[in-house]
Amino acid sequence: MTTNGRTVFVEDLRKTFYDESRGEVKAVDGVTFSCHPGEVFGLLGANGAGKTTTLRMLSTVLKPTGGTASVMGHDVVREPESVRESLGFYSASTALFPRLTGRETLRFFARINHYPVEGLAERVEALISRFGIQEYANARIEKLSTGMKQKVSIARTIAHDPPVLIFDEPTVGLDVLNALEMVKVIRELRDEGKTIIFSSHIMSEVEKLCDRIAIIHRGRLLALGTLESLREATGEHYLEDVFVHYVTRAEGLEVAAIGATGELEEAP
Amino acid sequence: MNARDIWILYRMEIRSAFRERSIVVNSILMPIFLYPVLLWVTFSAMTFIQGLNEQFTSRVALVGDLPSEHRAILDSLEARDKVQVIRGLGRDEAVSLIRAGELDVLLSFLPPDSGGASLPGNFRVQALYDRSEARGQNAVARVREVVDDYRTRWIGQEAEARGMTEQDRRLFWVADEDISTETDLGNRVLGLLIPLFLTIMVALGCFFPAVDTTAGERERSTWETLMTTSASRGSLVTAKYLYVATMGVSAGILNVVAIVVSIGAVMAPILGETEGINFRLPLLAIPVMFVGAMVLALLLSAGMVILASFARTFKDGQAMVQPVYFAAIVFPLLLGQQTDITLSPGIAAVPVANVAMMIRDAINGVFLWPYMVESLVLDLLLVYLCLRLARFILRFEDFLIGSYSGSFWRFARERMGFRSSKKDLA
Repeated sequence: MTTNGRTVFVEDLRKTFYDESRGEVKAVDGVTFSCHPGEVFGLLGANGAGKTTTLRMLSTVLKPTGGTASVMGHDVVREPESVRESLGFYSASTALFPRLTGRETLRFFARINHYPVEGLAERVEALISRFGIQEYANARIEKLSTGMKQKVSIARTIAHDPPVLIFDEPTVGLDVLNALEMVKVIRELRDEGKTIIFSSHIMSEVEKLCDRIAIIHRGRLLALGTLESLREATGEHYLEDVFVHYVTRAEGLEVAAIGATGELEEAP
Repeated sequence: MNARDIWILYRMEIRSAFRERSIVVNSILMPIFLYPVLLWVTFSAMTFIQGLNEQFTSRVALVGDLPSEHRAILDSLEARDKVQVIRGLGRDEAVSLIRAGELDVLLSFLPPDSGGASLPGNFRVQALYDRSEARGQNAVARVREVVDDYRTRWIGQEAEARGMTEQDRRLFWVADEDISTETDLGNRVLGLLIPLFLTIMVALGCFFPAVDTTAGERERSTWETLMTTSASRGSLVTAKYLYVATMGVSAGILNVVAIVVSIGAVMAPILGETEGINFRLPLLAIPVMFVGAMVLALLLSAGMVILASFARTFKDGQAMVQPVYFAAIVFPLLLGQQTDITLSPGIAAVPVANVAMMIRDAINGVFLWPYMVESLVLDLLLVYLCLRLARFILRFEDFLIGSYSGSFWRFARERMGFRSSKKDLA
């Protein structure tokens, strides 16, 4: 169920933490964006910029302090279970259960996310076949290599065939080949019509993969648009330079003065 | 909460648990094998040590002279098996030898100090020994046996000389009659063992699963994976709680079955062939034990899951849960020494102890239903309060995502009304 063609809708989303040493910390401060089917939406930001907190609010792990967000029309605060049923969440902090086999893992995640029982066996076998994990589908996860685990992990993320997928820094800790494999899979999923939110601090990945890019810094969106529109707006060619341009301006001028949200809309 | 989700999560937890060696060992194998084997080893060792003590020859030194009419006692002492009589030692020398462990007892034959002084040739034997040494205690016991035999024999001879037969001398005695059956004796033994071991095993059965399913999940980074599934937080916690309680109940029940089945063989070394004892539980005690194990498991798993969920690593989790484990076994251990008390309104108000006492009474065929109901109601009320507490704790996101770094006690101080805090902003 989409709202005006939007699968994900985020408006003025805020999250405030209390830290013993720093006091109140605005981890996310008025973030607004929306995503569409068949799109890879990139969240680009340095470590601690607020990417993971934003995605955790979208996946209902955290509750927003302010603002609203919905996934497939389900509000993240009022309908958290429905939101989670509509999305798959992949990150370095979401590991697999080491004592289950690959097949058991896929079956478990499909069932717990309410995939129809009648098509369950076929779905699991289709995923095993798609990701080429037949040879080790019955081996325990703890016995698998990093690359094998990665494949099972992606398969479990989409086990219940959710329309929205969140990949939070998915290539962290992967070697070049596995990182490339991840990028390839994300492209395929995009081509199947999934909405993908991809967060990273690696410019090259975002540049290659994302249809639209949001630059986030200190909890606020500094810019949002296609790579071309961001290049045009800044006069920079490389995404790295575009990113530095916005961050430098924000550091110097204060984000509020840039009118980030307004500028985002101007960069279609 | 969704029953279907709870069932799926519960099955996943159980399946994972049976593939973890520490859980299988502590929750399944130890209840079945360890305690029966441990008991058998203990009893066998006791019998063996007792046998060893009996093999030692007691070294007995004599000081002072015996009246001539009682010289026969020395013959009895020398004739006693495993007694070596040593003469010619001075008192000081004998004392140093006892201290050095080279002599077991020094006997001094002295005149009577009070009553009996009018009897010609009467004497008392003063035994000097080291009570901290088993050989010393043994030697004194052997000397006492010889002297007692001699006295009995001497009184008998004197009485016969005065025309009194053994029958005539038999006056004012107690004749006892034991109405307990062999099963009563067996149940008395089971009543001492089962409540203690059941509590230990239920606690041990809950211990590793509680740590594994909370702190272990955080350590393996699977906690957040579960949080992003469509199961509600309530379903997640309920499934984990039921899984831990299940492991506790199974450990307890398996242990009781193992003890009941093996108790005859386990006790054989100390019972020998002479004791008539029969280990057969009253039928009604079985459901009481089952219900007791369930309530214990629900209670202990609630406490353990709450404490362990504050830990970030398995090791921290073990340290946090250990106090519950020890607190759980203290009362059954203490009550085990008091064989004459039964369930009372006071004991029924003490969690864990009430269940242990209820089970012991049931094994002995005593069913105090009002107090049993009181015990169960109070324990289940405590379980309910623990679950309410868990629900309250789950409201805090930093706890939920594992960024809270304190223990339960710190959490209680900061966020449960003991001190105001702005931390719930997170």
